Amino acid sequence: MMLLLCCHFCGAGFQPALFFCAAMLYNVPMCTTDKTRGVFAATVLENRPLCDEHYLIRLQTPGFPATEAGQFVQLQCRPNAIPDAIRVVDWTDDAPPKLTGGEIADGEPLLRRPLSLAGRDGDILDIIYRVVGRGTGWLQRAAAGTELTILGPLGAPFPIPDTISQAILVGGGVGIPPMLYLAKALNAAGVQTTAICGARTAGLMPLATDDSGQSVEFSARGAHSILCTDDGTLGRGGLVTEPLAELLAAADDPAAVAVYSCGPEIMMKYVGLATTDAGAQCFLSLERSMACGMGTCQGCIVKIKDDSERGWNYKLCCSDGPVFPAESILWE
Amino acid sequence: MPDLSVNIAGIELANPLMTASGTCGYANEYADFVDLRTLGAFVTKSISVAPREGNPYPRVVETRSGMLNAIGLANVGLERFLDEKIPLLEELNLPVFVNIAGTNIDDYVQVTEALANVDVVKALELNISCPNVKAGGIQFGTDPASATEITRAVKAACGKNKLIVKLSPNVTDITAIAAAAVEGGADALSLINTLTAMVVDVETRKPVLANRTGGLSGPAIKPVAVHMVHRVYTQVAKPAGIPIIGMGGIQTGRDALEFLLAGATGLAIGTALFVDPACIVEIRDTINEYLTRHGCTSINEIIGALE
Repeated sequence: MMLLLCCHFCGAGFQPALFFCAAMLYNVPMCTTDKTRGVFAATVLENRPLCDEHYLIRLQTPGFPATEAGQFVQLQCRPNAIPDAIRVVDWTDDAPPKLTGGEIADGEPLLRRPLSLAGRDGDILDIIYRVVGRGTGWLQRAAAGTELTILGPLGAPFPIPDTISQAILVGGGVGIPPMLYLAKALNAAGVQTTAICGARTAGLMPLATDDSGQSVEFSARGAHSILCTDDGTLGRGGLVTEPLAELLAAADDPAAVAVYSCGPEIMMKYVGLATTDAGAQCFLSLERSMACGMGTCQGCIVKIKDDSERGWNYKLCCSDGPVFPAESILWE
Repeated sequence: MPDLSVNIAGIELANPLMTASGTCGYANEYADFVDLRTLGAFVTKSISVAPREGNPYPRVVETRSGMLNAIGLANVGLERFLDEKIPLLEELNLPVFVNIAGTNIDDYVQVTEALANVDVVKALELNISCPNVKAGGIQFGTDPASATEITRAVKAACGKNKLIVKLSPNVTDITAIAAAAVEGGADALSLINTLTAMVVDVETRKPVLANRTGGLSGPAIKPVAVHMVHRVYTQVAKPAGIPIIGMGGIQTGRDALEFLLAGATGLAIGTALFVDPACIVEIRDTINEYLTRHGCTSINEIIGALE
């Protein structure tokens, strides 16, 4: 019944025409319960570092629609109000207009940032992000209580075929977060799960370890974990594809195994090749730069194999993906 | 409540707001995010005779207060547009303007003729200003004689549909192209398309976009667009009695009001839809509030009212 509570402030549909909505572009709270996707108001509950460059942000997002592992959101990475809102107080009789200067000084990112969900607890969305530029740099400074908007949920989730009894998750760097959400779903589905998580070095592993070297986060989701670092400073030294090959070789029935991966493209390419060679199913979550996330800007193209003469066509990462079967992807 | 309705070349719109071509797909993509009936009209992505797959990746990159795109007129082609997209557009219950692209005059005319008898389509927007394809019409948009020639040829094939000519800002004098389009029979002008631009990756020493250059859009171009709208309004459109659809960086109601005052009758929203499709609601409501506060009964009182 949240619908009745929020609809008067809703950006879409029912709104008295003379009601001047002070909400500018980024803070239009939306109707919630009747929508499967939309723009929603969110409040930062917590925003803390997990390791070098990686942060966990928890967002209270009332009425956010149902989500599944593998889906993503477009998060606003700038202050809520655009400071050039018309206000009567800006224009006085005895002085020139009080210009906010906001438009000229606005150096905050225009576009939202596509970020995968790391988990969800009721209205609370968990996102783990890596600070790589202006948008995530701003996000890192968003204190508890900061109000943002979030657009989503977007994209297709990881499929969980009912034919599988075992899952292997392969996450690289900031590709690990969606694997946490997926581990929870696989646990609920009764699938035995091992997560292989790789980072360049110990300081870039966004996971906590227990005395036995297991990831606390994956253990809490019922999954065994194998941590790897390129330089051997944490867990196994070397690439994630080595333990993957071992697990695939040890599988009694590869057809009942699904491998899920997210991370650097070169890693996913070899994860896909190793998995399909072994006869297991493989689903990869791709990353592309995009403007909208809703299938309109057409910026986030991926070459996907088809039965056309040349053997491939462009699909959109945001709306056809971001999860694709590994064998369907045409690697450059 | 002030009257927001405007008339564009004989087409009555409930309000001046429309989508900017290429930022809104073919009608149904934003259905979950905003009630598109908030708009006065819907402008489709470009349609060409044959399907186009567009440019290689990367196609978009963010800039300060804006973004570059080089999509390359990716579209489903005329046949699929008629079969699959027109029925979706009919459900919108809005006047539909179809943006048309081509590589030569025959292409444009072929699309124009195919749309002449489609009821839901009320106008065509002639794209002679795409900066992102080698032969995508820009050659018609930068030379006055060519602009007149293609406008005249397409206008003759329009049938019941009105013809809007979309102008490129990538010219020395946009009023010369505007005048040429009017001479060719344009019923309305829309401006501005994106500004040709480049972002360089200094480490690789290569442009970020695969197409090397792209079109700059978003709030960064708004002051340029407002100025060009005003120049075209005072020097060409107003004397000829032709309406302008203004666009370029409109993100808020205040942005929209600047364009109206500068002389735009219609307003197209583009890049801002990528951030929040529901921004059109705020824009509409802010225009309403402004008109009320200034004692205006109709939006027409402020169109071109710049002092």
